[in-house]
Amino acid sequence: MASGTKNKGGRASRGSVAATKPKPWGTIIAVVAVLALAVGVFGYAYIKISDSKKFLVTEENKDPSTQISDVVVKQYAGAQHVTPEQRVAYDQNPPFGGPHDAVWANCTGFVYPAAVRNESMVHSLEHGAIWITYNPDQVKDANLDKLKSKVEGVPYMMLSPYPNLDKPISLQAWGHQLKLENNPDDERIDQFIKSLRQNRYLTAESAGGSCDNPTFDTANPPPYVAEKPGPDAVTMDGKGAIEDSAENGQSPPMNPTTAPVPTSGAPASGAPSAAPTGAPPASQ
Amino acid sequence: MTARRGLVYGAVALAVLLIGAAIGMLITLSRIGPSAAPDAESVDVGFCHDMQVHHLQAITMAGIARDRDSDQFVRQIAFDIESAQLEQVGEMRGWLISWGQPGLPDPGAAHMGWMTTGGHGHTSGLPDAGAPGLMPGMASSAELARLRSLTGTEFDVFFLQLMLRHHQGGSAMAQDAAQHASQEYVRTLAKTMITSQGSEVRYMTALLTERGAAPLPG
Repeated sequence: MASGTKNKGGRASRGSVAATKPKPWGTIIAVVAVLALAVGVFGYAYIKISDSKKFLVTEENKDPSTQISDVVVKQYAGAQHVTPEQRVAYDQNPPFGGPHDAVWANCTGFVYPAAVRNESMVHSLEHGAIWITYNPDQVKDANLDKLKSKVEGVPYMMLSPYPNLDKPISLQAWGHQLKLENNPDDERIDQFIKSLRQNRYLTAESAGGSCDNPTFDTANPPPYVAEKPGPDAVTMDGKGAIEDSAENGQSPPMNPTTAPVPTSGAPASGAPSAAPTGAPPASQ
Repeated sequence: MTARRGLVYGAVALAVLLIGAAIGMLITLSRIGPSAAPDAESVDVGFCHDMQVHHLQAITMAGIARDRDSDQFVRQIAFDIESAQLEQVGEMRGWLISWGQPGLPDPGAAHMGWMTTGGHGHTSGLPDAGAPGLMPGMASSAELARLRSLTGTEFDVFFLQLMLRHHQGGSAMAQDAAQHASQEYVRTLAKTMITSQGSEVRYMTALLTERGAAPLPG
């Protein structure tokens, strides 16, 4: 209302006022200051909110580690088990997926003083653990202590030396690896842990797999084997793993293509299934 | 004149709008995560994180005893502790996921910073941990290794001593959460822990006495 009358008056004496009235610098400065403050708050809030969510595992952000530079990602089939006597011809060094020993290594925040059998450690990765390895010739003293402090007593973490590791430090999660220089303060270590430890989207087993294992002797774990696995080793596609050898009895598993799904689902004993062999449980 | 006035009004309107949006952002900032869910700095989230870590070690120790102990009373209490705490860990982890929080504490996060009393260190009367940097009552790696190496009555006694200290060490966290957690169901769980672990403490003390031993010096 008041502005309406003002406007009328202003229109009447328009030309002279426009020419003589100085620019409202005070108002302009105030507006600019308010704008700057708002933009600052916006920016700060945006950075804080996105930081706290960046490495948080959610339905929309199933693998936050893709935002970390130098992480190697590979897809591996899970749940392929080998016996304590068998070895796996892994495609990576250290391995971070593939067939593994049926008995997983204890990963309850455990620091292994000596190198441990790869086949045992890979199984723990499948349960959602992070395995930190280091080259014992390069990572020592204070730097080693820093790595230990990230693991000792921390759930779903394990640490072990890895002879002849091609980088000083290497982090492993199921299907993920990050190799680093000799810098335990590298921020990517914590980002890797946050993104992948107990990440329920990694594999089916990572959603509830335990790190405790009563049958794994932590005081005397199966040792790391330096020699390359022989031609009888289980291959990365699972040929020769326990499931195959059980089906084929004593003979080597040479013909996996002739073992389609119905055969593998009905082992000789038939114990797991109450339904007659060959009858699909249609009623369920 | 009208043009300039319109400009000024427009700028003021924009500024007011931005201020409103900025306030909205600040409110979001103060509670990152879905609305009404406890935020990262809350007692609820801190308790569920730290108590999970604390519980997981008790589950480890109880699992060792449940598997290899020959004493049926010790085996029974170990199984009790293991199954109850596994269930509670699952509950806490489920809540954290539904609150949009990490399932475990962030790497390097300080222990017990969420507590309204006596966080960040020692509360008088609480047992120490087996090593510096661990939460009260927690066993060190060396103590766990020693536990795994023992047999017979020696094992029973050391297990009871470690578990007793573990229970007592976790009580301050449970007390704090029972009073200060924002969600009723979190307070209820914390109260449940206080009650059930309190009776287990008395029982384990009695078992120790029967075996001619005493709690670890605290």
